Amino acid sequence: MDNSRSRSPSISPAAVVVTAVFLLVSVIGINWFTTFVPLVLPDQASAESKSVDELFYILMIIGGVVFFLIQGMLLISVIAFRARPDDQGDGPTYHGNPLLEIIWTIIPAMVVVFLAVVSFNIWTQNSEPKASVNMVEGHSIQINVTGARYAWTHQYITERFDPDGGQIVINSGPNLHTYIGQNVDLTLQTQDVIHSYWVPAMRVKQDLLPGDPAQGGRPTELRFTPVRVEGRSYPAEYPIVCAELCGDGHGRMRGAVIVYEDESQFLDLFYEPAIHAILNPPADPVLRGEIEIQNYICNSCHILDSLGWTATTGPSLNGIAERAGERVPGQSAEEYIATSIWNSGAFRVPGYDQQMAAFGPDVMEVANIMSPEQLYSIVAYLCTQGEQSDCDMEKASIAIPNAIQTVFGYQVDITFGMNGDDDETVPEVDQETDTETNGESDDSA
Amino acid sequence: MATIAVPLGAQGEGQEAEAVRRPALSDYLRWSVDHKIIGVQYGVSSFLFFIIGGAMAMLIRLELWTPDLDVMVSGAAYNSLFTIHGTIMIFLFIIPMWAAFGNFVVPLQLGAKDMAFPWLNAFAFWLIPPAAVVVLLGYFVSPAEAGWTSYPPLSTLFSGDGQTLWALGAHLLSISSIMGSINFIVTIFNMRPPEMTIWRMPLLCWAVLATSIIAVMATPFLAGALTLLLLDRVAGTTFFDAAGGGDVLLWQNIFWFYSHPAVYIMVLPGMGVLSEVLSVHSRKPVFGYRMVGLSSMGIAFVGFTVWAHHMFTSLQPELRIPFMITTMIIAVPTGIKMFSWLGTIWAGKIRFTSAMLFALGFLSLFVIGGISGVMLAALPFDIHVHDTYFVVSHFHFVLFGGSVFAVYAALYHWFPKVTGRMMNEGLGRIHFAFTYFGFLFTFFPMHVVGMLGMPRRVAVYVDAFQPWNQLISFSAFVLGFSTFIVIFNVIKSYFHGPIAGANPWRALTLEWQTTSPPPATNFVDDPIPFEDPYGYGTEASAAYLEVVDEAFSGGAPAGRGSH
Repeated sequence: MDNSRSRSPSISPAAVVVTAVFLLVSVIGINWFTTFVPLVLPDQASAESKSVDELFYILMIIGGVVFFLIQGMLLISVIAFRARPDDQGDGPTYHGNPLLEIIWTIIPAMVVVFLAVVSFNIWTQNSEPKASVNMVEGHSIQINVTGARYAWTHQYITERFDPDGGQIVINSGPNLHTYIGQNVDLTLQTQDVIHSYWVPAMRVKQDLLPGDPAQGGRPTELRFTPVRVEGRSYPAEYPIVCAELCGDGHGRMRGAVIVYEDESQFLDLFYEPAIHAILNPPADPVLRGEIEIQNYICNSCHILDSLGWTATTGPSLNGIAERAGERVPGQSAEEYIATSIWNSGAFRVPGYDQQMAAFGPDVMEVANIMSPEQLYSIVAYLCTQGEQSDCDMEKASIAIPNAIQTVFGYQVDITFGMNGDDDETVPEVDQETDTETNGESDDSA
Repeated sequence: MATIAVPLGAQGEGQEAEAVRRPALSDYLRWSVDHKIIGVQYGVSSFLFFIIGGAMAMLIRLELWTPDLDVMVSGAAYNSLFTIHGTIMIFLFIIPMWAAFGNFVVPLQLGAKDMAFPWLNAFAFWLIPPAAVVVLLGYFVSPAEAGWTSYPPLSTLFSGDGQTLWALGAHLLSISSIMGSINFIVTIFNMRPPEMTIWRMPLLCWAVLATSIIAVMATPFLAGALTLLLLDRVAGTTFFDAAGGGDVLLWQNIFWFYSHPAVYIMVLPGMGVLSEVLSVHSRKPVFGYRMVGLSSMGIAFVGFTVWAHHMFTSLQPELRIPFMITTMIIAVPTGIKMFSWLGTIWAGKIRFTSAMLFALGFLSLFVIGGISGVMLAALPFDIHVHDTYFVVSHFHFVLFGGSVFAVYAALYHWFPKVTGRMMNEGLGRIHFAFTYFGFLFTFFPMHVVGMLGMPRRVAVYVDAFQPWNQLISFSAFVLGFSTFIVIFNVIKSYFHGPIAGANPWRALTLEWQTTSPPPATNFVDDPIPFEDPYGYGTEASAAYLEVVDEAFSGGAPAGRGSH
């Protein structure tokens, strides 16, 4: 018999029945599977997450049909077409079936076109710019996210002004605060390498790309709208994760999105207290420093037991006040600490090879801008970290500003927060000052 | 009626006494221009790297047993661990492993005496050991820790000298890959017997041809990207440094313009192997031969248009849609292959040899990798799972469930030809069971942890993912253990396996129409291929195989070639 390239077997009724059964089984199986979806995906905490999950269902149904079809045919083949032990013969000489080949080219092509159209629609719907974003008290405010190895910082450029007319900026560290229904539109910038801002519960992710700092970097954008999740109590917290390898501490570069129930809860629990704290800083620079230092990304690299920091990229800050005076000959402890924050390259602690970012009044990175007053309070706070301090604590209110003036040439207004006309806060702060300062010393002992 | 003609002339009388001569083990340690020696050199060295890379994977899984950092000394040490794992597996294992099978089998399938450029062939192989030394030394100097993708600025401004050595090593390996591929293209186009038209060529040759075209076209882009990276690192240029006018996305674009096609460099030869193994062991012609061959070319072509789907979270939003569409299209030629393979085994007479088990395992696992690939192409869903364990799962389904299963299928299938001995089928089945289930329970749960929120490339994770990770790690150790079974089997069979004979699988392609192992010149006379490489089930093919059996019965060697 000649080999029969031309022979084109017809599709047997049995095959049609088997295919139909598998399609049925797979559709039922997939429907059953979708009940497990909440177990394999996080909460649907944003409007975007709902449409993305709808796409996931569609993909699972189509994928499931393909899966059951192919695995099923495979299973049938290995059961039905296994050669008997004594059978040395060959199978039938089918070389192909043009109709079948056309079918399994055209149908998958149609399926992927369908998926592309569905995906395109969901994408355009989700990425469409919203009319009113980041609305707080009727204003659309700017929210900046900065990624630096290995921490996130969030900044709210508010529409409020301090008595000097300066725009108030809330720094909320690793946490993004928002409320149900707010159209969030984040501007993302990195200080060093590429990071990726991922909020699994919102199904959104965007890389942060290094740009030229002289030209304002290379900001990218991320948009989502939180929605209510049944069964959650508010404020609800969802993790922020870094999804692009950024180095040693990539795995612990985390944060949280804190979703409030509505705008008034957002204002009461976050926004107003934050602005109040900025307008009424503690008079004691040590107390203020303890607050300020937590607004920067220091925790991403340093250990400091008093604040529960555990990162090891940089040297430990435990007991820094005991050592600061001995590090650089001719430099006082407060001068050393101020210099290290401003110009970390000036002295590198032995055993640490990564240079710290610069923090100060005129650095290029917005998230690292530190006024002379903020710097003063942070130095004052760090000067309390140790059993005894090399800093001249007796005359700290003169010594530290002097040190800052020596290092930067900036005048520090040491009367900040001490204007005394806020009758409610001043006595409180004074009271706390003693206990807190002592408490700090005890902690680090 | 087909002419029944085989490479006879070897069955001369009086030669039965002379045993089939295998190359001595020491021959494999020397410079040789014999493609069969070079094939084994590629294969054994790649397998050694597979073991090293696998041991690193075991360390990775050990670290991930708990949510905290405990096995490795730092996050950076963990980063360098998976960087070198990925680098070894891709550049020193899979790609050269296909050069191993391509080298050994392709000239034999073409009835050629050697590759077109034997010296170039040897040179391409001997670039690998120095490249490996450079890459591995880098690991001990100050290891690269930017992942195998080495995104700047992490790989430029923030990495040590190991990164420079990594780039140099990858450079050498690119050169090796380009030279090897040119050799395959020239060989396949010029050294076929006159009877073998391009439409009668075995499908492994089609796959290697498509792979080589990709490698020749794409690898220069890797070389270009690596050159820029090296210049940025050592010569103070700023191609990828925004502060100097560069662009970090430049690297991602050029790198993926190579590295996505490179995925097909890593899997297309495996698909070629699958066509061979499924057809031979189910005794049926490959269903839709032309479409299977053409779909390799289709994949090669479309593969060049999809690179930016690796950049869905960094690319300008308006550019993402076109790459989603091209990425989805590539599912079509892949689907053609899957269905054609099912058509091949359907109604056949399936022999459950170890080679066949791994080929069937490939089919069953690759379909999962294909489905998750389409899911990843769907842009809105990809945004959620991009750079998570979902992706880790996907590419292991493609590169382990696909490529490695095909490597094992090829090993069990061609080991008799290479060594003249059969492998132990019982051990092969045990190996398959451990590998298949170890693999499935290692990589399938990764989809779930990825969707739940675990990013890739982290040594620490939130406590909630620990049960999943322990399941994954446990299965990974089972998978790691399975490798010992095949190593034992190879060594045992090499020395004590039953004599294979010329054509133990009764296959029609030309590599089986000579002794096992073949003589130095492969064939004594110019062999005449059967009219159809997969024409099983015809009387003509039965007659052809009978003549071959007679010609080589008694293990008669091919005359002049062996000395």
